[in-house]
Amino acid sequence: MLSVGRMEADGCVALRDVTVQYGRRVALEGLSGRFVSGSLTAVVGANGAGKSTLLAAIAGTVRLAGGALDCPARERLAYLPQLAAMDRDFPLTVAELIALGGWRDFGAFRAPAAALRARAAAAAAAVGLASRLGRRIGELSVGELQRALFARLILQDAAVILLDEPFAAVDAQTISVLLDQVARWHHEGRTVIAVLHDLDLVRARFPTTLVLARRCVAWGPTDVALPALAA
Amino acid sequence: MSGHALLVAPFETLGFMRGALVACLALALANGAVGTLLVLRRMSLDGDVLGHAVMPGAAIGFLYAGPSPTWLSLGGLASGLAVAALAGLIAGGRARHDAGLVAFYLVALSLGVALVTWRGSNIDVVHVLFGTVLAIDRRALLQIAAVSSVILLVIAALYRPLAVGAFDPAFLRAVGVCAPYGAVFVALVVLALVASFQAFGTLLAVGPMLLPAAAARCWGLGVAASMALATFFGLAASVAGLLLSYHGNLPSGPAIVLAGGLLFGVSLVVTSTLRQLAPTIRGDA
Repeated sequence: MLSVGRMEADGCVALRDVTVQYGRRVALEGLSGRFVSGSLTAVVGANGAGKSTLLAAIAGTVRLAGGALDCPARERLAYLPQLAAMDRDFPLTVAELIALGGWRDFGAFRAPAAALRARAAAAAAAVGLASRLGRRIGELSVGELQRALFARLILQDAAVILLDEPFAAVDAQTISVLLDQVARWHHEGRTVIAVLHDLDLVRARFPTTLVLARRCVAWGPTDVALPALAA
Repeated sequence: MSGHALLVAPFETLGFMRGALVACLALALANGAVGTLLVLRRMSLDGDVLGHAVMPGAAIGFLYAGPSPTWLSLGGLASGLAVAALAGLIAGGRARHDAGLVAFYLVALSLGVALVTWRGSNIDVVHVLFGTVLAIDRRALLQIAAVSSVILLVIAALYRPLAVGAFDPAFLRAVGVCAPYGAVFVALVVLALVASFQAFGTLLAVGPMLLPAAAARCWGLGVAASMALATFFGLAASVAGLLLSYHGNLPSGPAIVLAGGLLFGVSLVVTSTLRQLAPTIRGDA
């Protein structure tokens, strides 16, 4: 569906001395390094270690207080913030939510094309939501909603995918389905960066790990970097 | 009393009743869409505060040119937008801004009353607070119609980003939408409130915007359908309120707001009853 070569060309994210501040509080300090194009990286660390801030900085939704961030695929980047950020009472169907993934195609002023509906249905099937397309998002369980948001990500067809605690409060079966999707994205050559808390899961499924404590503690192959978290 | 005498005659015989009806209908068309988005964005309190924010500017317009609808509206628009911008600044600096909003509300209201009383009479104060829907002249009517049309056109053009921004603003930012749709929406609310101000005054202006939309929201429809239902409720409340005020010799603005409140109450009771019954019915089947 997408040429891997193109992904490898533009899916990298390079950080040089990146610093983010909220008021006077420093959330992230002097982070330098590179998410290689097509890499699958887990970002781990204690609460307040700057993990979510890092994703928001890459997505461009918080301003850098210092340093530089280079992301050639900025226009083809998808970002899934934590669940709490969304209003689930909003009267929207699952199909409509997923179809929003095509936003960059139809934009603010044009109606979504008919072909998009078929793509939305296919994406829903990929995360096991085919039977829920007509439901309101308020009727979904937390796990089902997360599946729908993953389907929206599939439609976004992004070169860089940022996931902020995608498996928090989600049932085991859903986690397994979503992890398979993450593996498919990795296989397709997309860059995936996920904030995670479950270290066993990181060890099992994520080849690269970044350990954060406001600054970089360790960044590299998971078996090398992850022990730095306990230390 | 015949149906004709009850429902039609008041509008047939009295020009000011017709004027009030047309003004309320025009307002209801804009308020249905704006109010629905206001409720969906959980900004009802902000809407209320902006209603009062219109007051000091309208009062200055009143001091400058007397009860001229144009100057009242221009002044109201200026102070409404100024307060919206200030409240936005406060919200940007700190987390949620309850205390700031209420402070604006109190200061704006007091300042407006003080300014109007300075040069005007107590009657003027009552007019500014509660509006004069039965005294809408031709020029004010045209203004209301024009503003309502502009609001509807803007919402029609920006419908999708306004709706998506209401439930998932982070997604809009993530797909690179950086136009300030939230600010545009607040400006639309201020515009609608200024249009309402003449008819309903600073204390009630938010009523015909909020109550029909809140009533429509109870029925659990999609966004566009909620807007349509809110508009219908607004139209119904306008007609019912005007008739109630005519036959019951009640002030018209409050009567219309009361009719909207009644629709909200009935919607709330009926939908929650239906929701409780639904599982029982399904279980029997």
